[in-house]
Amino acid sequence: MNDIQWYFPKTLEEVQPHLKRDGVKLHGGGTWILRGSMRGIKGLVDLGKLELHSFRKDSQTVEMGAGMTYAETIRSMTTINPDHILVKALQHAASTPLRNIITLGGTIFSFPVWSDLMGPLIALDADVVLMGERSEAYSITEYVKSSALRKESLITHVRFKNIGWNAYYYREVKTSFDYPAFTITILLKKNKNLIEDTRIVVVGCAGKFSRVKKIEDYLKGKTTDSLEIDGIAQTHELKFTKKRSLEPAYLEHCAGVQIERSISELTRG
Amino acid sequence: MSDMLNIGKPVQKMDSLSLATGTERFTDDFHVENPLYCAILYSPHAHAEIKKIDTSTALKVPGVVDIIHYNNVPRVLHTTAGQGYPEPSPYDTLLFDRRVRFVGDRVALVAAETVQSAHQALEKIIVDYKPLEPVFDPERAMDKDTPKLHVDDEHAMIPATYEPEKNLAAEVKISFGDMKKGFEQADFIEDHTYKVHYASHCAIEPHAVICYFDERGRLVIISTTQVPFHVRRIVGQVLGIPVGMIRVIKPRIGGGFGGKQEVFLEPLIALVAWRHRRAVRICLTRKEVFVSSRTRHAMRIRLRTGVKNDGRITALDMDGLMNAGAYGTHALTVISNVGSKTLPFFNKIENLNFCGRSVYTNLPVGGAYRGYGATQGYFAFNQQIDTIARRTDKDVLEYIKRWHIKEGETSEVFKALGEGKEGVAQAIRSCKLDECIDRGSEAIEWYKKRAKRIKVGKNMVKGVGAAVSMQGSGIPKIDMAACSMKMNEDGSFNLYVGATDIGTGSDTILAQIAGEVLRVPTQKIIVLSSDTDLTPFDTGAYASSTTYVSGKAVEKCAHDIAEQLKKVASGMLGTEQKNLFLDSEKAIDKNTKKSVTFTDIALSSMYEKDQFQIQAHASQTVDESPPPFIAQFAEIDVDLETGKLKVVKFVSAVDCGQPINPKLAEGQVEGAAVNGISYTLCEDYNFDSIGRMTNPTFWDYKIFNIRDIPEMETILVGSHEETGPFGAKSVGEIAINGPAPAIAKALYDAAGIRVYELPITSQKVWKLLQEEKPV
Amino acid sequence: MEGLFIINGSEKKLSFDSGDILLNVLRANGFTEVKSGCHEGQCGSCVILLNEELVNSCQVFAAAAVGKDIVTIKGIGDIHSPHPMQEAFVETGAVQCGFCIPGVVLAAYYLLKNNPDPDDEEICRALDGNLCRCTGYVKIHEAVKLAAKRMAENV
Repeated sequence: MNDIQWYFPKTLEEVQPHLKRDGVKLHGGGTWILRGSMRGIKGLVDLGKLELHSFRKDSQTVEMGAGMTYAETIRSMTTINPDHILVKALQHAASTPLRNIITLGGTIFSFPVWSDLMGPLIALDADVVLMGERSEAYSITEYVKSSALRKESLITHVRFKNIGWNAYYYREVKTSFDYPAFTITILLKKNKNLIEDTRIVVVGCAGKFSRVKKIEDYLKGKTTDSLEIDGIAQTHELKFTKKRSLEPAYLEHCAGVQIERSISELTRG
Repeated sequence: MSDMLNIGKPVQKMDSLSLATGTERFTDDFHVENPLYCAILYSPHAHAEIKKIDTSTALKVPGVVDIIHYNNVPRVLHTTAGQGYPEPSPYDTLLFDRRVRFVGDRVALVAAETVQSAHQALEKIIVDYKPLEPVFDPERAMDKDTPKLHVDDEHAMIPATYEPEKNLAAEVKISFGDMKKGFEQADFIEDHTYKVHYASHCAIEPHAVICYFDERGRLVIISTTQVPFHVRRIVGQVLGIPVGMIRVIKPRIGGGFGGKQEVFLEPLIALVAWRHRRAVRICLTRKEVFVSSRTRHAMRIRLRTGVKNDGRITALDMDGLMNAGAYGTHALTVISNVGSKTLPFFNKIENLNFCGRSVYTNLPVGGAYRGYGATQGYFAFNQQIDTIARRTDKDVLEYIKRWHIKEGETSEVFKALGEGKEGVAQAIRSCKLDECIDRGSEAIEWYKKRAKRIKVGKNMVKGVGAAVSMQGSGIPKIDMAACSMKMNEDGSFNLYVGATDIGTGSDTILAQIAGEVLRVPTQKIIVLSSDTDLTPFDTGAYASSTTYVSGKAVEKCAHDIAEQLKKVASGMLGTEQKNLFLDSEKAIDKNTKKSVTFTDIALSSMYEKDQFQIQAHASQTVDESPPPFIAQFAEIDVDLETGKLKVVKFVSAVDCGQPINPKLAEGQVEGAAVNGISYTLCEDYNFDSIGRMTNPTFWDYKIFNIRDIPEMETILVGSHEETGPFGAKSVGEIAINGPAPAIAKALYDAAGIRVYELPITSQKVWKLLQEEKPV
Repeated sequence: MEGLFIINGSEKKLSFDSGDILLNVLRANGFTEVKSGCHEGQCGSCVILLNEELVNSCQVFAAAAVGKDIVTIKGIGDIHSPHPMQEAFVETGAVQCGFCIPGVVLAAYYLLKNNPDPDDEEICRALDGNLCRCTGYVKIHEAVKLAAKRMAENV
């Protein structure tokens, strides 16, 4: 086994010099590193001693430290809203002991296709606060699409608007502790029965994730009693590739059905 | 049973507190000084000839002590099946062979001072393979132009059909009556083909072996085994060392389910130990367990039934084709159990034909798996019965009750089909299946839900399905169990059994039996099991044999002890032995009510008069294998839009004779049922085009966790099996047979589609809903 | 590398390689009550309490756990004075082979520590990281309910 040099920085400044070094990786929860190959890793920078567990909220914004685990996130978000999309999604993610290890920052950085975190964050239009080469806040979609941003930077915080939209979350799994073939996140802003705004995000489709704009556009500005939901599914235009033993046609069909049902559920009553 | 002290009582499993507090040791928990660690190199090819193997660079890795492969180990054909001798499985396996036969077949083993060195060296072994054409389709395995897997001197040890030149690992045929006439008499014929799939046992403890030498230079093997005595015999055989030089210890075992009835690891590790006279250890990774240990045999079963309009079956033809995988371990006995466990069930069919074949393919190796052929057979049988009952407009439960084998009845199949030889004729002495059906159907509310297609929410429809089955209790005229027992000063007893507790609780069950005979609480029986140096022989934990066979040995042995106790007591009390009975840890004169305590009896016999050790031993073989019976019911909700299927409730009503320990019996049923449901819905081996399993991890091979289980109800329907210890039959395997057919039938009930091929995935149901016109 | 750990209340200095996994280090140092079933974070046999949080020890680097407080199954009760959770598992017949049980009991212990009166759904969610192939989970569920009841009565 290769000998790994460990670093235990106590401040963000101490992390800085490690960001540019070859073969040195940041270690948050560590599950992603262990899932991948250890080959070529020369150094690991343990982020455990940094203060990356802060949770701040005001009427406008929620900000969470990137070192927060899923379990910590669930606990914190529950204090705002037990039906928050992050609570709904993360309480089913992985398993109890893994929810105590996996961190927000690690997931955003690695973005596994089965993630239960990314759909909600994309739907929330979250910002990722970085330290390093380009120290500032970026929208999460920009972050995940830019390898340049991911390189040589550390995610310190995640930030999103404190919005009280209705939330719906669906994960396509074989058993409860499974890594979803895809997930559907829907946020819906209703004013009485008027749909003022909505965001629909599917993670796990071709291209890793997708906003389902066509359906969003259809819904926006409509009243819930004027919707014709049956058949909406056919318009999602999502593409899937074969996953394990699941065929694209089935995944496309299921995604459609579940989007339809989610909308129906969210717009009911 | 009201006067029973231990039998039928939920006595606490004797090792449960030590397990729950973490003090018990499993194989890999044992410490040995300075061991060698092993790592195994596996074939990346499904079928290939090794042209050259170069270990020179690998041997230079610091810490590497030895690398063994086909060129430097003895060539001893054997079978890895942990069965009695001579094994009914063919001798087709070598420690290492020049030819590799599946992706995951072993090529070489590195022994090194550290795990890291062993793994480093693995990567440096250079193997030059000449790929051969592989065989993946069992249907084509016997074709003339199909490549053959075993072309040297592989052979069978018993007079059974074994034709490796045809890739035929085993063949079983029986026939009664006149098939032609039977089919002619029929008003209609139902002809369907069913397929059951690969599965892993998924014992949470992976296979592990530790070998070391004791102070006198004898080889000690600690192993995760269900069959310690077979391990000792097979290691001796393969290494060419006397059995007397080997001691096998079975510590706590982390689940077996048949997967640890295979002696595929011990000979390798023992060989390294023997070569270097050093301690050696290995613990397999989960991936190794998935790919390179053993699996449930995948199978195709065609059932053809001629049926009269009144439902009478005039002819039944069962044709089974079993994928043995690359080696024929259990190839004969599993396929023969498909017939022998299912066909006697409807014992009134006069014209009967069974043909079962096991064929070699270049895929992972099948083996023993809880249910052992019955699971495969009953998937087909139950669905076929459902089809017939529906077509003849009968309630399937009433139909089963009308035709199943009953007390006092027999079936010619019992005699015709044994395990590698002729079977044993037997009449059914206990069968409470009707009561199982009645109580189970009540629990599931059968008549409220069957054929009602109750809507659940907007898109779900409810269905119920039932499946019945029987198993056996040991293998008649083959299984043998022995035990011995001795008494201590305080009236406690040491019980030594060869029987192998692999987590089932058999140590506790056997203590309950001994305690009952002697009328002492179970806690007074101190059990030591499965150490080949210390305990008598037992064939091991398989074939649902332990309670029935080993239990009877213990009962006999305890009776012997009881007589000795009475004899000593009669001297002490000055009364005749026949006037004495045992109760409350005393020998009591039934006339005078005078008594003497067990403690005083023990003290007297050990220290005072006519001194001797109160001790006994007993052996047991069985002439019959009384089947337990079960009726299982699934209630499902199926989503007609997505094909998603949820088992809402699952009921098992079982006749296992007198349950020795109802809690442990329920545990067996619940565990097997959940394993079966999980197998039916989400477990499968996925192979790519080169025959490689693509999902050999718990990430991708999903098994049920606590969030996935339905509401479970288990009903123990008591019966009394006169040949069993205190009326007991077996319960270990049977409950895994029902889930697949019950769920498949419930799906038909809900949605009018019939699944002939497992597993029942959402995608498959969705496709069927689209392709077929649901009835 | 070398590091100080607090294991079941006692300080232990352990040496290990820089890439070693905590599970392997614990087992190599005699804490074999922590079981290893898959090394993938999937089976839960290896769970421990790390600074009071339930984690899969196969998913933690030893180096990253230095200085932390570790509790294994032996840390909550022993054969002479078992924890009520351990007793409940025994009484309900929830222990079959027992290989997964140290992990399952710890997960249940962790649940009750944070939520003394869990409902059925909460019990299931708390144990969703622990695979058991023997019991079918029925009696495990009963055991947790029994322990919760007992522990509430004895407060």
